[in-house]
Amino acid sequence: MIRGRWRFFASLKLAVFTIVALGVISAVGTFTEARFNDAMVAQRLVYHSVWMYLILGSLIVNLVAVMIDRWPWRQHHTAFISAHIGIIILLFGSWVTKQYGIDGSMAFEIGETGKHVTVNEREFSVIASLDGTTFNTIFDDQVEFLVNSPTEKKPYVVNLGSERLEVIDYYHFAFRETEIRPSDVEGDGPAVRFQLENPNVNMTEWLRRDRTKAEAQVNLGPARVVFARSEPQPTGMNEIFLIVPDGAKKMTYVIFNKDRTVRKRGTVKESDTIETGWMGLKFRILRFLPHARENVSYVKTQAATPAASSALKFRFRDKEYWLGLNSAQRLYLEDKVYFISYGNRRIELSFPLKLNKFTVGTYQGTMKAASYESEVDVPGRGNVLISMNEPLYHEGFTFYQASFERNEKGEAVVSVLSVNHDPGRWLKYLGSLLIVLGSILLFYFRRVRFLDLLTKGNPK
Amino acid sequence: MIKALFSVVILLLTLSPAVQAETLSQALDKIPVQDAGRVKPFGTFARETLQLIYGRQDFEGKSASEVIFTWMLIPDQWLNMPLVELRHGGLKEALKISSTEKRFSPQSLLTNERIPLVIQELSTIRNRQEKLNPYFQAVSRLENQLAMFQAVRAGMAIRILPVQDSDTWKGVNELEGEPQAAFAKVTKAFVDSIALADNKSGTLKARPELTAAVQEFVEVARQQAPEKYAEDGKIKWELHLNSFHPFKVAAYAYLIGLILLISFQVSGRSWTYSSAYVFLIVGILLQAYGMGIRVYLTGRPPVSNMYETVIWVPWACVLFGVMMERLQGNRLVLMAAAGVAVFCLILADMAPTVLDASIHPLEPVLRSTFWLTTHVLIILLGYSAFFLALALGDVLLYMYLKDEQKYAQQIQQGSNSIYRSLQIGVVLLTAGTILGGVWADYSWGRFWGWDPKETWALICILGYLALLHGRLVGWVKNFELAAGSVIAFSLVVMAWYGVNFALGAGLHTYGFGAGGVEYVSGFVIAHILYVAYVSTVRYGRLKKPN
Repeated sequence: MIRGRWRFFASLKLAVFTIVALGVISAVGTFTEARFNDAMVAQRLVYHSVWMYLILGSLIVNLVAVMIDRWPWRQHHTAFISAHIGIIILLFGSWVTKQYGIDGSMAFEIGETGKHVTVNEREFSVIASLDGTTFNTIFDDQVEFLVNSPTEKKPYVVNLGSERLEVIDYYHFAFRETEIRPSDVEGDGPAVRFQLENPNVNMTEWLRRDRTKAEAQVNLGPARVVFARSEPQPTGMNEIFLIVPDGAKKMTYVIFNKDRTVRKRGTVKESDTIETGWMGLKFRILRFLPHARENVSYVKTQAATPAASSALKFRFRDKEYWLGLNSAQRLYLEDKVYFISYGNRRIELSFPLKLNKFTVGTYQGTMKAASYESEVDVPGRGNVLISMNEPLYHEGFTFYQASFERNEKGEAVVSVLSVNHDPGRWLKYLGSLLIVLGSILLFYFRRVRFLDLLTKGNPK
Repeated sequence: MIKALFSVVILLLTLSPAVQAETLSQALDKIPVQDAGRVKPFGTFARETLQLIYGRQDFEGKSASEVIFTWMLIPDQWLNMPLVELRHGGLKEALKISSTEKRFSPQSLLTNERIPLVIQELSTIRNRQEKLNPYFQAVSRLENQLAMFQAVRAGMAIRILPVQDSDTWKGVNELEGEPQAAFAKVTKAFVDSIALADNKSGTLKARPELTAAVQEFVEVARQQAPEKYAEDGKIKWELHLNSFHPFKVAAYAYLIGLILLISFQVSGRSWTYSSAYVFLIVGILLQAYGMGIRVYLTGRPPVSNMYETVIWVPWACVLFGVMMERLQGNRLVLMAAAGVAVFCLILADMAPTVLDASIHPLEPVLRSTFWLTTHVLIILLGYSAFFLALALGDVLLYMYLKDEQKYAQQIQQGSNSIYRSLQIGVVLLTAGTILGGVWADYSWGRFWGWDPKETWALICILGYLALLHGRLVGWVKNFELAAGSVIAFSLVVMAWYGVNFALGAGLHTYGFGAGGVEYVSGFVIAHILYVAYVSTVRYGRLKKPN
């Protein structure tokens, strides 16, 4: 059927070459994943690279060409046609999934209602507000900085009116580091560095309070330390309150017992030590800054760890800022505020889900999880149980129990569902079925037949 | 044939234990203990604990139960024994301890000033949730070893008393009242059994008081919370599995079969062939028996960790061998299959740290047994077919090396069997991988996620497909098929072992382990060199016809 050099596309040479190439690139992908300890990197760099698409393209061309070449098909072609069409349908189904499917996750606390699915794609957006009450998205773009990393020479440029915002650096994996420094800006809130110490414990912490917040706090185990604008109410724990009104240069303190009674109060200044009276704990003020600013920087790391995240550096009006994944930076201008944000894209569902209950079953006598399940409130269906291997199907979406998070006390309070919408699913299943059928049918046809049909197709 | 049957009877007779009084450890073994998320016999607990700390399941001829029990009763005696296995050179250097010793006394380690420092380093790494390198894996093991030693010493780790209103059983140190009195009788009878023994060397016998005391304690403990207490049946079968070693015995049966098959190749006597057959069948049955017990104990298919797969694959391999021998009449297949079986089962028995035979609780996602069964079992059947092809390839390459003309007929037959094995393997591996996709889709909503385990399964399929397609057009002839089936098995090794033990990435994390990389690489490299050598020799011969 196919003449001349076009026969190359139907040749077994191309088939074997494509098969081997596919094997090699897949192997490279697995090594990439191991190297970066991250599946998404392998996907971006290898499995969804141009090379992969070229190889898959050549596979499809080869499969189609060889089937045209064998036309008209006979009964003994069944196995061969079935397997090959199966592969094409499977690949087509995968493309449909990639193009139109949604694969994301949803994390919510017990009692919380969730409506948004977080997906892997990331976006860079700028929201403007003139009066602080109305917000306008003035820029929004899906970005892929792993493959096309912005640099000083090749920045990612956002035009904001007559001004330019440039993303000039990007780390895919980085540790966030913060440094608290004194500031002259009247609008910056205060910060305090303190130490809590006894022969067994030695903890040093910074607390910085934003002007917009009433308090900043940290729970150190033996005691909760609260850095507040005015004296708050005790909550029934061992608590140390440090009180500094906005702009004040002096600090007072109150120590509360578990029974909400006052243990001690007074004024305190830098390098003072207070005996708390709990297990010999001494509370020492190491540093006090009436106005402080947090300097955030990122340190690049080579592979993923749960503590690392992506970060980018952008420049606006000659000032540089670091922005971590899923965070925002406020820029105060003369007449407006910009919110610059970089994060995973979120898709809004047409219906809300409320997490009523979350339970973790453990293996006897251990903390090892044996099962976990979420009870969610589904509109129109009431309470539905989602557990491992027992997902919820609702309005074209499937919700799977993926994992959970514990709070500081070790209680499982956050359930993580993986959310999926896959219009290509039936195609992938159909393709798979044809592939398996085809390869089983191969046993029914003798090898001779194949040699026969192959040589007939390629006359010498 | 008669001779063969006779030898089987002899074999079975020598295996069945003669009726005799209980040994010290047999008496203790029966006590149910709650450990690592399940209830197990004390015998299993003791072996696992000794394996963790000492690196062996017995101590200078003493059984694990005896060691662990005295360790709890008179810990001071053990404090200065070289008990804690520590092999990592870098860690020994960091602790400034002898680099030539393999084992150290708990006392010397517990007082080593550097240990808190290395454990501190480890917790820093853990807080950052980074992957542990071999050094920190060794630190982590040492931390577990010392913690376990202390917990056994204090009796905390030996949790023998179920509690009505708690999931956690009480340890020996927490016993009160009647259970405490009952346990005191056990310890007294145990001490008496040692003190009053006539012959202190060799295996110590339990005095009847000990047997009775254990029985009494078990009854007392059962009364505390009958519904939470161990099922007698499971304890009995687990102890039987521990003492009978069905897989080891099966390995011997296969080994005898293999030797008979080789002698048949050499001598051509037909009785050797038929008796070999009998031994292979015995091996299959013994293995099925052992796997059956494990399924009963664990309540899940026998393919949930690396050890169980190394047991399952040779079994399927011998079954394939027998089936193909029946269908194709090719006698070489049996020899190849027996070879695989002996190799795998000896491996499973010899490397307890890499191939951990103990029964652990499963990750939540694996507790849907139907999908686990289908996709893993089918993929492993595929591996079995490829393993068989590898062994056949090895045999054929040997024939090519010796005399291609003389073995021409066997080579042709062998090639047909290899081709068939590869076909079976590709179909099973493809079906299994797709079913894995179905499972992933069902459990996570992701049919294909380029997870390393599934990606390597795909690479295997592709490798063998390249071989089969090459065969179709005649690029791959008999020799290339034999060589190819040997080389391509490297891909299976990577998918089966490498992803979990060498690459250590991806979602199939519950199957991760460590160790043995150098031996497995050796296996792969040896095969590649073998193929290279035979190819060179053969190519040389073909170039200058004599």
